[in-house]
Amino acid sequence: MSPILDIAAFNSVREAGLAKLVPTAPRVAIGMGTCGRGNGADGVFNAFASGIERSGMDVRLVGVGCLGACYQEPLINVRLPGGPLLVLNQVKINDVPRILHDLHRGTISPESIYCKVEAWDHITGHISYGRGYPDVPNWDEVAFFKGQKKIVLRNCGFINPEDIEEYIGVGGYQALYKVLIEGRPDMVIEQIKAAKLRGRGGAGFLTGNKWDFLAKAKSEQKYIICNADEGDPGAYMNRNEIEGDPHALLEGMIIGGYVMGATEGIIYVRAEYPLAVHHIQRAIDQASEYGLLGDNILGRGFKFNIRVVEGAGAFVCGEETALIASLENRAGRPRPRPPYPAQKGLWGQPTSINNVETWYNIVPIVTKGATWFSDTGSAKSSGTKVFSLVGKVHSTGLVEMPLGTPLKTFIYDIGEGGSTPGRAIKAVQTGGPSGGCIPQEMFDTPVDYESLQQIGSIMGSGGMVVMDDDNCMVDVARFFIEFTHSESCGKCVPCRVGLNKLLRILNGITRGTVGMRDRLEAMEELGRMIRDCSLCGLGQSAPNPVLTAMRHFRDEFEEHLRAHRCRAGVCQDLALSPCENSCPLRMNIPRFLQLYKERRHDDAFLSVIFDNPLPASTGRVCQHPCENRCRRTSIDAPVNMREVHRRIADEILFTDRFDDLAARVAARKLDASGRKVAIAGAGPTGLTAAFYLALLGHDVTVFDEKSEAGGMLRFAIPEYRLPRAVVRREVELIERLGVKFVFDTRIGFDIPLNDLADRFDSVFISIGTWKESWLYLPGTELKGVYPALPFLESSAKKEAVRLGRRVAIIGGGNAAIDAARTAMRAGAEAIVVYRRDRKDMPAIEEETVAAEEEGVRFMFWSAPHRIIGDAEGGVKALEMVKTRPGEYDKSGRRRPIMTDEIQRIECDTVVLGVGETFDTDFCRASGLALQEGGTIVVDRFSLETSRASFYAGGDVITGASNVSNAMDFGKRAAKNIDERLMGESRWEAIFPTFVYAHKVPDEPNHAARHVSPALAPKTRAKTQDEVVVGMEPEAAWEEAGRCMRCDIKVPAGVS
Amino acid sequence: MPQKKISIRIDGELVTALEGQTILQAAQEAGKAIPTLCYLEGLSPAGACRICMVEVAGTERLLPACTTPVQEGLAVTTVSARLTQYRRMTVELLLIERNHVCSVCVSNGHCELQAMATSLGITNTRYWYDFPTLPVDMTHERFVLDHNRCILCTRCVRACAELEGANVWDVGGRGIHTRVTSDLAQPWGESPTCTSCGKCVQACPTGALAEKGAAVEEMTKRTDRLTRLAGSKRAQP
Repeated sequence: MSPILDIAAFNSVREAGLAKLVPTAPRVAIGMGTCGRGNGADGVFNAFASGIERSGMDVRLVGVGCLGACYQEPLINVRLPGGPLLVLNQVKINDVPRILHDLHRGTISPESIYCKVEAWDHITGHISYGRGYPDVPNWDEVAFFKGQKKIVLRNCGFINPEDIEEYIGVGGYQALYKVLIEGRPDMVIEQIKAAKLRGRGGAGFLTGNKWDFLAKAKSEQKYIICNADEGDPGAYMNRNEIEGDPHALLEGMIIGGYVMGATEGIIYVRAEYPLAVHHIQRAIDQASEYGLLGDNILGRGFKFNIRVVEGAGAFVCGEETALIASLENRAGRPRPRPPYPAQKGLWGQPTSINNVETWYNIVPIVTKGATWFSDTGSAKSSGTKVFSLVGKVHSTGLVEMPLGTPLKTFIYDIGEGGSTPGRAIKAVQTGGPSGGCIPQEMFDTPVDYESLQQIGSIMGSGGMVVMDDDNCMVDVARFFIEFTHSESCGKCVPCRVGLNKLLRILNGITRGTVGMRDRLEAMEELGRMIRDCSLCGLGQSAPNPVLTAMRHFRDEFEEHLRAHRCRAGVCQDLALSPCENSCPLRMNIPRFLQLYKERRHDDAFLSVIFDNPLPASTGRVCQHPCENRCRRTSIDAPVNMREVHRRIADEILFTDRFDDLAARVAARKLDASGRKVAIAGAGPTGLTAAFYLALLGHDVTVFDEKSEAGGMLRFAIPEYRLPRAVVRREVELIERLGVKFVFDTRIGFDIPLNDLADRFDSVFISIGTWKESWLYLPGTELKGVYPALPFLESSAKKEAVRLGRRVAIIGGGNAAIDAARTAMRAGAEAIVVYRRDRKDMPAIEEETVAAEEEGVRFMFWSAPHRIIGDAEGGVKALEMVKTRPGEYDKSGRRRPIMTDEIQRIECDTVVLGVGETFDTDFCRASGLALQEGGTIVVDRFSLETSRASFYAGGDVITGASNVSNAMDFGKRAAKNIDERLMGESRWEAIFPTFVYAHKVPDEPNHAARHVSPALAPKTRAKTQDEVVVGMEPEAAWEEAGRCMRCDIKVPAGVS
Repeated sequence: MPQKKISIRIDGELVTALEGQTILQAAQEAGKAIPTLCYLEGLSPAGACRICMVEVAGTERLLPACTTPVQEGLAVTTVSARLTQYRRMTVELLLIERNHVCSVCVSNGHCELQAMATSLGITNTRYWYDFPTLPVDMTHERFVLDHNRCILCTRCVRACAELEGANVWDVGGRGIHTRVTSDLAQPWGESPTCTSCGKCVQACPTGALAEKGAAVEEMTKRTDRLTRLAGSKRAQP
């Protein structure tokens, strides 16, 4: 090809290029970016190539860049003459013959199509591909692309990056031609200034001003540099841009070279991007061949050359002075500015460095004008920005959005929410190691330079790493500090030594080897010092991830430090196994499974009871968070830990072994301490505290307003789920440890708190949430409207409740389901009304399923509107407003939004199960500080209240929760009360030790998960008999053997 | 061409400075002391130790006095609670980074790091010591390089390059693993470029570079000679 010297030659290349893009034969374009290749695009390409050759069909096969939807790779687009461009996703080699057959047939089967493109705005040109396939969504109707505006990525995924003619075909190099013909460099700079384009590398300096500096600098030699040293973990937009559309970068740089009067352009690109290096090098060769680089560009007498320099991968070389040092063959270390590169840059000559994406915006501005450009985006940040949306989000990929778009649009609309069901998104990390973590509450923040900076993060190069409950924020902070620490050049003290120190503290926190509270303050101080004192951007921004994580997720840091607990289960040194870590009581689950597997039933029972004093009750009603974390799930299904532990408990509690083992538990009691402890509330929290305090040798008295111990276990959970006999037996064991119970006595009413303070050395308040939250609806005053808890309590006491024939239950929690099933057993019809979706219900899934089996009906997306009464003041019907899913709220569920549609069901009873609360007014009178919602103020870790020797725990602290969470409070309170009373920790002394096999099974037990048998729905729905019958011993034994023993830690390198 | 005179404020006091001077130079001429460690008059400034950070009105950021040029109307604060806190932290970080055991150091009593710590009132460090295991290069016939005492100020690197022109010293490695190296990380004694002039030893603020034969407290440095030498070199046409 001879160089293009006039407009006629240019136009003929353009025609040729266009003919390649919209050929008269079918065209198949394979997404061959690194992301596509990583997902097997190479194989797909080869399969097409050989298939086409074999069949002899006239099909144009090309490789193109990536469209951005990384989670759908390999992506290909196919076009039949006259038809639209059809994008097919996740194409496998096996699909190729079918697609070729379709091409031969002249129509593509619609079910395999991801989306279509009927026309495309390349900014520099416009292509109408053709219409058709009405049932296939257009590209901008697909959630991932909705709202995206492709300016930078205008050609990516459409043109062949290795063919300059295709780039010219979509209008490429026309802007350059225009600039050269007009010959007014100053006008171009004014245009870029007016467009308010800001540097896309992260700092956001106005590009027009930067260019002006260089244009005005007087020197024989001037350099322009493209900074393609993209190094943020999780950011890869620059790679994709260069891979998919290298000529747009060249054109931007040649225009820049011309208007700034530069003599040479340099592209500093990471050597780790071989495909990008290959494409840009090929583009330079082609551009030189076509006369777009060299001594006489487009025949206009402008001389300019661009060369590629591969960086060795030091992160700090993204900093401009370090980058220049690297180009000068020196070690990549930054130097203080001023002088700025525009004054003294490469080889001491004036130099302008711009990010890859900044260069990509030049051609659109020159083509369409400044106003067109600044129309997109926000007032101070115009245009679009490409973000890499990665992490715990359903749809990942490169997203080009107008600046100023709120974060939640990225995460919930484009990303389509979390990637793992049941896990709530809690933060997004923007700006890589220089950026910060933004919590879910702040997802309304618009993504632009100023807004992100205000909340302690930065936009950086555009990385967005989404995190959910499975991510530990301490570990995330540690990861980024580890990264910047290893990339620190070592020149200045704050960054070199300060980051090392910060990393050591963070390592200590994640490994549980530091416990001092002031470490947090020390880290904050150190972080600020590194930020304020470091020499270059790397050090100045390196503490951002820690500072923002500490600001927004201080809880997690404190929990690691003070409780040595990592809720996400990431910090392995703080956990025994995933199940143990997820258990609120931190039961040693692998131990009791192994003991049971070794058929040591007594030992298994002792292992269980010392971890959990109510094993038979929790074995029936626990929410079993352990199963959500069980690694066995990766093979088939989680180990049924709860049922095995129920079996272990039942085998002892309800057999003649009981006396013997109760004596063995009591034998572990420490000598009498002479200290007296009062516990207010005989629910799971109080019983647990009583169990441990008695074992620690204290004289324990439990007060309760009811006539029997057990709290919610006894009076709220129905008989068919948890028989009374079970709770009674467990209480009996606690009584045998010497715990005294005083019933029918309400603390704060029958006995003032102050009296307790006089009579006891310590008081623990663990009252339950017995007050039903009232729903303020018209009609709740009618006869036949009951709150769920009193309703359940009455039926637990076998009191008569006037129940109608059709009962509507409002709510989606366990109390609502229990009420529905109880109503069924009383012979009524039950219908549960819930304002969100079924999967959003807080009730235990098994219970919901059981309720459905028994014939309970459900209405989702319905919020109560009013209750309609009849003439006698009874309930006649319930009216509901239909709701629809709105935005995601903090719990990661979609918020219900009211619609205008009203529904009505006829019913004669309404049960309100919308949540429970408590009555703590009596505490205020005794000098205990309360929070606004009425919960008692306590130290989160020690459970101490504002009054000395008074402790509180359980629902009264958290609001209504579940059994195991409540028991956890009792356990921790006992430990802390004892420590405070005795002045030393004697906790470990009460626990027996066990010797058992510590060996990972060579082969996991291949048995499928065992489920405890249940009574048939038809028969059980009429009785109070326990629905779930315990597991058979052999089934439980086999189930215990399914455990993969995550508790065994093998040192690295040992197999 | 005579340099233009400009006015700046240092700690509220109006001071006349010459254009092209750094804040540090202007302050020193006005008799104001800004603490420094990696700076040595006569050598190019490195801006590495961050001890000389000062507050400048109109910017949130702290700036190093040794490399920031003065501008008309500049208002500098050299002493503030924040600056003192940061200076103390910087020195603390230097003290924990390597094994600075003053009681057995040749420079005890004549050490700039020790003097800085004393003047900042540092009696202990709040962070754990690192206690790295570092080599001592004894291969040179007259001098010793003890990495345990090095604070990476790079004064030796600059003295060798700028005053002697031998370019023996450089900095190798990165981050916390950064070390001063002679030639291509060879033992100092095998360096073909070293002229054994000893300027690096005199430039070193601590006991990292010392003369052989010096015992505890015996190594005194004459940095003033280097400054004079640099002055006379600059005066040459």
